[in-house]
Amino acid sequence: MKQIKTVFAFTFRDAVRKKAFIISTAITLIIILILSFLTRLSSSSGDEETEYYGGYTLYYIDESNLIKGGADALAAAMNGSAVIQGSAAQLDEYKEKINTENGVYAVQVTEQNGQPFITVISKDFMSSISYDYITEVLSKTYTANAMREYGLDDKAIALAQTELRYTAEFTGEMNINGYIAGILLTMLIFFAIYYYGYGVAMSIATEKTSRVMETLVVSAKPSRILIGKCLAMGLLGLLQFAGTIAFAALCKEVIIPDNFSLLGAPLSFDAFTPEAILLLLLYFILGYALYAVLNAVCGALVSKIEDLNSALMPVIFLSLISFYLGYITAVSGSEGTLAKVALYLPFSSPFMIPFKLINGGYTASQIAISIALLVVSILVITYICIRVYSASVLHYGKRQKLVDLYKTKL
Amino acid sequence: MSLRVNGLTKSFGDKIAVNNVSFSMEKPGVFGLIGTNGAGKTTTIRSVLGIMTPDSGSAEWNGKRITRETLSFGYMPEERGIYMKTKVLEQLIYFGMLRGMTKADAKKSALSYLDRLGIMEYKDVPAEKLSKGNQQKVQLISTLIHDPVLIFLDEPFSGLDPVNAVMLSNLIKELVENKRYIVMSSHQMNTVEDYCENILLLHNGRTVLQGNLKEIKKGYGHTNLVISADERVLPIAEKNGLVLLAKQPETYEFKITGDAMAEAFLKDVVAAGIMPTKYVVKEPSLNEIFIEKVGEEQ
Repeated sequence: MKQIKTVFAFTFRDAVRKKAFIISTAITLIIILILSFLTRLSSSSGDEETEYYGGYTLYYIDESNLIKGGADALAAAMNGSAVIQGSAAQLDEYKEKINTENGVYAVQVTEQNGQPFITVISKDFMSSISYDYITEVLSKTYTANAMREYGLDDKAIALAQTELRYTAEFTGEMNINGYIAGILLTMLIFFAIYYYGYGVAMSIATEKTSRVMETLVVSAKPSRILIGKCLAMGLLGLLQFAGTIAFAALCKEVIIPDNFSLLGAPLSFDAFTPEAILLLLLYFILGYALYAVLNAVCGALVSKIEDLNSALMPVIFLSLISFYLGYITAVSGSEGTLAKVALYLPFSSPFMIPFKLINGGYTASQIAISIALLVVSILVITYICIRVYSASVLHYGKRQKLVDLYKTKL
Repeated sequence: MSLRVNGLTKSFGDKIAVNNVSFSMEKPGVFGLIGTNGAGKTTTIRSVLGIMTPDSGSAEWNGKRITRETLSFGYMPEERGIYMKTKVLEQLIYFGMLRGMTKADAKKSALSYLDRLGIMEYKDVPAEKLSKGNQQKVQLISTLIHDPVLIFLDEPFSGLDPVNAVMLSNLIKELVENKRYIVMSSHQMNTVEDYCENILLLHNGRTVLQGNLKEIKKGYGHTNLVISADERVLPIAEKNGLVLLAKQPETYEFKITGDAMAEAFLKDVVAAGIMPTKYVVKEPSLNEIFIEKVGEEQ
């Protein structure tokens, strides 16, 4: 136990001081900070009724005057842009300008089936003008004209065109906040498991290829080195993971405005109950443990550090397939056979359950069975991996078959 | 105290790396484990130390099987391995603690060795900034930090400059004076000759020669003659059937068949009016024995 603690402390200290850890932590926190401030910007600009289109030139062609006052309405709506009355005869000329000059657009109104039909002409689909906004302005103008013809006054027309505010409420546990949080969480867990698993593999491969391992194994059993390393990298990952969530929660309290809404739903972290957080951390730990021991064996198999990536390929494929299996079945809300496989398969459950913990759609017994299967798998795989690791850690030269390594007398 | 190794055998797949190797150390000193590359020296050491489990045979210290837990041993591997990015003192404390020392004891011992080996100024420097020789000293300290009784040194002198070689040499002598048991593996036969009382020569995993070095050499009798004189001795040597082995300015080494040949040659040299300043009749060097034995095997 003392040796595991010693390996653990040394590995942890070493990893914390690595530039990769410091930079990745700083970048993650900065991204959260930027996203939090963006919510303030979008909240403060949300009340403005007109969009600003600074410096655009818009040729408006409505030769049959199908939408009376259409050009004026656009000029008023597109604050800061020039709306020029154009003609269909010059359309080719306008198109040439659209192609060669920035910020030039054309809107043509023609008749189709007895109604005005709007064509917005821009250089390509990447143009920043909003087709919906232009159509909305012209549609409102058209219907206002029609209502006037039916004898309605401006007050009645304004009332008829009022856009009602709304908020979305759901009777189930899944909402847009939980949905997005679940997706982000699943990705974060995958990234953390992958990154720290890779860290374990790299640490072991470095010790083996630099021959430090020869010095280590005379002092400590390979299994103790393996466990100490996995625990250290796991704690580091857990701290970064928990730190990221804590920082995000702090930003929510301090920076994100109270009235900020996401696609109509107010921002809420009600789904992050203490039980859910505990289970999230548990799944992160178990998922990490499962992949860390596999990564450790890959690290022990190589004689040269440049061979590490190819040795890790099987584990990378396994983790990617498992991630997509868990992620897709979780976000699609599927309850079929594939979803059940993803729920109970130890390799994919750490990527599926976290989404469900936030968005519901699980039972206590499913979670219990999933955790039990995960724990049993970790024990079995760790036992096998320790044997392979112990046999391969001092083997240099041609890579041996895993079966042969497993059978090696230790 | 004694080290006894009995019938060690270790295979990797179809290849027998070590085949029925036995040796013992009944008193403190230096035991020489010699052999060509791939002879099985490192596998023998690893099997003795319990880092590898042999297919058969045993290694015992005072009648008990050697394991990491039961014996405080030191092992300096042939391939040097230290953490390049980690500060020297920090990693030595780590290695000491892995051997069961407290942090304070490990630090005290590490500082003491750093001082003795003249690299105290590098204690807070990452190992990658040290010269190869100084890195090797760090490796040596990591081997000795916990004051082991049984010490395995795999090619301890390789890569050391003459000054550092003398420093290591003195340290080995000091360890022997302090009743330490040292098993030393080396390619450098003169080094083995300098330190080892008993040797074991491995080739392709098998023991081809073993025993007390003096006795082994004695068994060969006088086979070499060294003479310092001018070059007029060369035709006399040829006439007497001596075979020239090595030639240095004014000094020649010949292969002889025995003392009678040496005596006849000396008489002819003196009769020719040549007065040698040096005349030595001696046993073969370990290097010659090594080449002969390995050659026989091949």
